[in-house]
Amino acid sequence: MASNADQFKQSFREEAREILVDLEAALLELNENAGDGELVGRVFRGLHTIKGSGSMFGFEELAAFTHNLETAFDEVRNGRLEINPELIDLTLGALDQIRAMLEEGAGGAAPADPAACAEILAKVRRLTGIAAGGAGADGGGKTALAAKPCAASGGAVREWSIRFAPGPDLMLNGTSPLLLLRELRQLGGLSVKASMAAVPPLAELDPERCYVAWEMVLATAVSRDAIRDVFIFVEDHCELSIEAVAGPAGEGLADAAAKALDEPRSQSGGRRTYDKPDTATSLRVPAAKLDQFVDLVGELVTVQARLSELAARRDDPEIAEVSEEIERLTSSLRENSMNIRMLPIRATFEKFRRLVHDLARDLGKDVELTIEGADTELDKTVIDQLSDPLMHLIRNSMDHGIEPRDVRAARGKRPTATIHLSARHSGASVLIGVSDDGGGIDAEAVRSRAVEKGLVDEDAPLTEAETFALIFQPGFSTAKQVTDVSGRGVGMDVVRQRVDSLRGTIDVASNRGTGTSVTLRLPLTLAIIDGLLVGVGDAYFVLPLANTLECIELTTADIERANGKHVANVRGVVVPYIRLREHFDIRTPRPEIEQIMLVETEGGRYGFVVDRVLGDCQTVIKNLGRFYRHVQVVSGATILGNGTVALILDPERLAQDAVRLGRQGLQRGHGAASSAGVAGRGRKREGTGVSAV
Amino acid sequence: MGINLDEGEALSTVILCETVDISSAAELKALLVKALGSGKEVRVSLEGEAYLDATAIQLIWAAEREARSGGVGFALAGPVPERISAALLDAGFDRFPAAECAR
Repeated sequence: MASNADQFKQSFREEAREILVDLEAALLELNENAGDGELVGRVFRGLHTIKGSGSMFGFEELAAFTHNLETAFDEVRNGRLEINPELIDLTLGALDQIRAMLEEGAGGAAPADPAACAEILAKVRRLTGIAAGGAGADGGGKTALAAKPCAASGGAVREWSIRFAPGPDLMLNGTSPLLLLRELRQLGGLSVKASMAAVPPLAELDPERCYVAWEMVLATAVSRDAIRDVFIFVEDHCELSIEAVAGPAGEGLADAAAKALDEPRSQSGGRRTYDKPDTATSLRVPAAKLDQFVDLVGELVTVQARLSELAARRDDPEIAEVSEEIERLTSSLRENSMNIRMLPIRATFEKFRRLVHDLARDLGKDVELTIEGADTELDKTVIDQLSDPLMHLIRNSMDHGIEPRDVRAARGKRPTATIHLSARHSGASVLIGVSDDGGGIDAEAVRSRAVEKGLVDEDAPLTEAETFALIFQPGFSTAKQVTDVSGRGVGMDVVRQRVDSLRGTIDVASNRGTGTSVTLRLPLTLAIIDGLLVGVGDAYFVLPLANTLECIELTTADIERANGKHVANVRGVVVPYIRLREHFDIRTPRPEIEQIMLVETEGGRYGFVVDRVLGDCQTVIKNLGRFYRHVQVVSGATILGNGTVALILDPERLAQDAVRLGRQGLQRGHGAASSAGVAGRGRKREGTGVSAV
Repeated sequence: MGINLDEGEALSTVILCETVDISSAAELKALLVKALGSGKEVRVSLEGEAYLDATAIQLIWAAEREARSGGVGFALAGPVPERISAALLDAGFDRFPAAECAR
């Protein structure tokens, strides 16, 4: 079991990672809006928090290194240094080193580079004009913290009366009040008196709470805000007042401290936030615990389905009543547990600003990243696996898609190119888009290269989409030379593999000269969905409820009226339908009256013809396993209450598949050639019999 | 072991060998309560790499107050090490059990 110290360190790491993400975003914004004081303050506070908390939790090297950057941004804040691209790049580079220092000891990351740290600090000092001091000069020493910011402030020294009373939970988050005092002492001359008035009798004393309060007088040239910054990460967990003391500096520090002690606390005029009712609105929970929780809910849903089945068979009103109640509660529990795992994609999108910034610099291109739909939520498991594919898509766009400056100028394009990231919901899926306004994909070059590599025959009839899909083949690249960024033909293969593993699909659209758009269609969740259970012969299927619209009957007379065509007339609108019996090669006689489940897809409305509709069900998605991974029309399987396996259909893919087969003049999938298109990629057998699963 | 209780015939000595902070404050409290409950004089010994954070300081302070009100002897076993004395002064604790921290 981890010790408290380890837990605090881990908590600090988690918080610091978030702060680093925010710092990166703020720096990149600052790069565009150099005069934005709020952004400067945001960067300063972030650095200050990392430094202060880092020191407190034993990350002395990290704290010392960060201190120098904090000093630089303090200079910016005070108008003595201007923001410029060099400072931004240096700070971004420094964030990488801080990140590495942070992960040291946590495993899995490359350690910080001392030479790079020293170089960054030397450059920062050159920019700020502040001389190196002591062992902190190399970024690895511990004495950098001892540097007194007041020395750099240069203003008049004045006295401040400070009262600091830790709240009940201040120490529980790992904060040490004594270390805060030590940091305060770095700002100037400090006179301190500890008050023990609130310490209760030993028996009543909570050993994990700090009852001591401090009255201090600080003589310093720094501002009230700079003093408050010392307490920046505990100010919601303490009583803090900072008041200017009248009278000339340097006179009677001890008297002023004593006077401050004698003053009634109600006159302190400071913040008193800790004694408000507990209004904490969020908790930090390890992802593994959440995954375990959702797994258990999944098991509960399966057991509940068995209970419902049992209740239906027993015909016992009491059991039926209990079963219905459990079903209702399970449904609520499932919905709540799924909501807990839903996260906005914003953080994932935002972190690519840095990638675009760095790549643009390295490639000598002007590129801006625009983001749309950052608040779109999807399952944490899906989000966790999205970073790599998006990174490869962006790198590919930046390197191959976006033209060099001179080419863009010659084509009359805006000098600054755009990479656009977008997210939006579509039924039970989420669509993630990566588009650019570059030169587009040269379909002919892709085809030639594919022929050259033996991926397709020279005379193979390929649609444009099928041609574009070739770029996702392993080792495929049309790049004439391999660069640091791309060209080895690995990245797009990674994209395909990752999207496959998420049961997603990739669509590529491109126009020569105007750009490329790649859309990833991913399931909202990988765990449990609301489904509609349908039956065909002895087989069961689940359609995601989010896609289904309504159910209508299909009689023999209807079929005759359509002259055998697979279309139905729904209140005057012609809707094409797909017979699941035929699509899955289920060889049982069809009933006199069948049911058409109407579903909404990106390509419009489609009907799925089934024998019977059995009702809605909560569906715990189980992977089909490696062997059936490439059966794209099926997104998984689920175990019904009676122990039977039902396949979960992907209506979108099913509709696309039917269109493709129809185009090829096939009513069944038997013998369909393995398509180079992503949609049908790797498809082994169209007529996968349900009984085989 | 960071905190120990040595129960002699006439003295109960709480020995602090390492850092005492929030992670070991509950243990310190239990030993101080036990030492005070023994009816013997209490000593607190700061040895080796002992370092006290605010939770430890307030516990020892509260224990001393309780001992005094109950007429039980309570003192540090020896002078406060210079390092700890300086840290206590820096943190505004100008008085510590049985030893005035020299300014």
